[in-house]
Amino acid sequence: MLNLVRPKIDIRRVSKTYASDHGPVPALRDTDLAVKEGEFVSIVGPSGCGKSTLVYIVGGFLAAEGEVVIDGEPITGPGTNRGVVFQEYALFPWLTVRDNIGYGLERQRVAVAEREKVISRLIGVIGLSGFEHRYPRELSGGMKQRVAIARTLACDPAILLLDEPFGALDAQTREIMQDELLRIWLENRKTVLLVTHDVTEAVYLSNRICVMSARPGQIIQQFAVELDRTRPREELVLSNAFNDLRNEVWLSVRRQALAAGQGTDAL
Amino acid sequence: MHFKRISVTAVRAFVRVGPLILIAALWQLVCGTGLVNREFLPAPVSVAIAFADLFSGGDIAKNLLITLYRAAAGLALGTICGVWIGLMMARSEKFRAYVTPIVGGTYSLPKSALIPLFALWFGIGNVTAIAAVFLACLLPMIVNTYHGVITTPKVLVWSAETLGTAKHELLAHVFLRNALPDIFTGLRIALGFSFVLAISAEMIASTNGIGKLIFMFGENGTYDYMFAAIACVVVVAFLADRAMLAVTRYSLRWHESAVSRLDERRA
Amino acid sequence: MSQNIKSLHVNWRSAASIFVLLLIWELAARAHLTPPLFLPPFSSVADQLWHSLADGTLATDLALSLGRAFAGLILATLLGVFIGLLMARNRFAEWLIDPLVALGFPSPKIAFIPIFVLWFGIASLSKILLVAFACIFPIVIGSYSAARSISHVFLWSAMSLGSDRKSLFLHIILPACYPRIFTTFRVAVPVSLITTFTAEMVAGGGGMGATLIYSQRFFESPTVFAYILVMLGVGLLLDLTMVQFQKHFLRWAEI
Repeated sequence: MLNLVRPKIDIRRVSKTYASDHGPVPALRDTDLAVKEGEFVSIVGPSGCGKSTLVYIVGGFLAAEGEVVIDGEPITGPGTNRGVVFQEYALFPWLTVRDNIGYGLERQRVAVAEREKVISRLIGVIGLSGFEHRYPRELSGGMKQRVAIARTLACDPAILLLDEPFGALDAQTREIMQDELLRIWLENRKTVLLVTHDVTEAVYLSNRICVMSARPGQIIQQFAVELDRTRPREELVLSNAFNDLRNEVWLSVRRQALAAGQGTDAL
Repeated sequence: MHFKRISVTAVRAFVRVGPLILIAALWQLVCGTGLVNREFLPAPVSVAIAFADLFSGGDIAKNLLITLYRAAAGLALGTICGVWIGLMMARSEKFRAYVTPIVGGTYSLPKSALIPLFALWFGIGNVTAIAAVFLACLLPMIVNTYHGVITTPKVLVWSAETLGTAKHELLAHVFLRNALPDIFTGLRIALGFSFVLAISAEMIASTNGIGKLIFMFGENGTYDYMFAAIACVVVVAFLADRAMLAVTRYSLRWHESAVSRLDERRA
Repeated sequence: MSQNIKSLHVNWRSAASIFVLLLIWELAARAHLTPPLFLPPFSSVADQLWHSLADGTLATDLALSLGRAFAGLILATLLGVFIGLLMARNRFAEWLIDPLVALGFPSPKIAFIPIFVLWFGIASLSKILLVAFACIFPIVIGSYSAARSISHVFLWSAMSLGSDRKSLFLHIILPACYPRIFTTFRVAVPVSLITTFTAEMVAGGGGMGATLIYSQRFFESPTVFAYILVMLGVGLLLDLTMVQFQKHFLRWAEI
């Protein structure tokens, strides 16, 4: 592939096999993906296809065969250049909202004054003023996820990795959060890799969608998304362009799910 | 408003203590009518007098302090070592394999059986008692710390890593924090043990301490003093337990379980 | 397969750990690194153990101690479960007994040995009652909370299927409490042993504890070590037994 611009994230022939009681389970096989800087890429696919595994590998949490190259350097583990948002929020329950958001900054020895500035700004961005001193247990799911996103943004990573971030939220909250994420991305154009099982969400948010095959996962189809994101949700989601694309992607994923057979998660 | 709050709490406290007052009254009645031999059951009044006497004479305070010192020293040592061992066991497979049989073995051994052994080694006095308390407190702290650390959710560790936490920092910032609720559970158990072992050691192999005091009063036949000393121990142990619960409640105010305070009356 | 090999590894290390410990013990003692009083060679401990076994003293002591512990434990369980369930169903009983439990639970029951000796003498009765006294608190608390936490879904299902009060209690409430009660019973077993041994050490009257302290006072270290090892063995055996019991009879519970 001829690339005039070096990709931000270059996933090269990544494979991952898990050991289990019934023998080795291949999760990913020779997955290739190149993400350009500032792109918003979604990965969709049937359950258990390995999309979360891929994101964990890019995050540096799991070892795998093949290479993940970021800005020309292969990764060796987790790093502050890749912020991660998990489905389970993963907020530190023993820290307040403020301290959670400022956690990364503290680890990197940022001065207190600077830290406070960033935290205050982000609390405003996510709209949780007045909740700075609450603990995660006192927050709703949507609020927790906002804090998780703020915490990730505080360190200003160049790349955002999101693993089904809105999966645990109810439909209304999910839509609100999607708009939030879109707004944040439109502001600072970070490189985003989003894993989701919700095809509509993928079409709504990203400018490229990758469809993954069933286990062992490989990227078998990609869709470019050219929708005008300045239009309000009501117009966009009801437009023909949106729905035609959505249907195409959905069909692609459905085919993969059927090819995998019923009850693939028997293991 | 304020007055109303105080009187409600006062009434509630009275209701809870009610049965004790009832029993004390019954006790006094039974002794007063001579139903029971004075020898075997001194009346609450004479017990109270004996208690006042001991208190003013300083005997109880002096010996109680000795006992508390032994219990506290053993508890502190046992906690520090226990948490460290539990932590190591959770983080290192090799360490766990080597240490488990020793830990498992001491679980089945009644620690007070070691008091004669320690008396053989360390003689009569502080070291024997503290050693016994130390060993008794060690086990619950190891087991609970281990459980708390090993159940740390992966996503918390991953989040911490991605936010720039160095490997050696993970222990203090993630694992121990996550284990805190379990550690406090172990601490409550260890507190109970510390009293039991300290007093046992004093009754068996010591020249001072409140355990020895109780024993001596029994030998001398001054039963009202004996009852007074025992009552003193019961009250102190109760207060220590309450104090521990208060500290726990404050330290774990971030925990989901912090919402319900009714259950903390029970074990 | 790799799981089995992994578990073997653990066992190899564990066995090695114990073996090395025993070896160090024997060698250190023989080399007189420590005075023989402090650390008699393992061989002489084993020897003493054999003698005690052979002349029946160990058997007598063990039977006495275990008998007392179990008698106290059974008493505590029967009374404790009754009281706990009663407290869960009857507000007056709860009011009356709650402060007693709250005061009693954290207090070191050992401190009451002299009272029990005063009232019941130094023979077995005082030990049995003391053990019952020590074990009853966790059992009451466990039974109470087990009865209270029965999901009303169970009760409603039973009632709509035609259960009357008595059969509700016998067939729904009681069985639902078994796992929790068994867990507290498991906790109470070591308590019963500790209390028995300690009471015997303090007040005499025969049993493992009495012989143990007797040996210490006369500086017979092999006996001290031997008896401690026996106590260790007994504790281990009992715990294993209970794990097996739990596996077979309480398989249905999610403990």
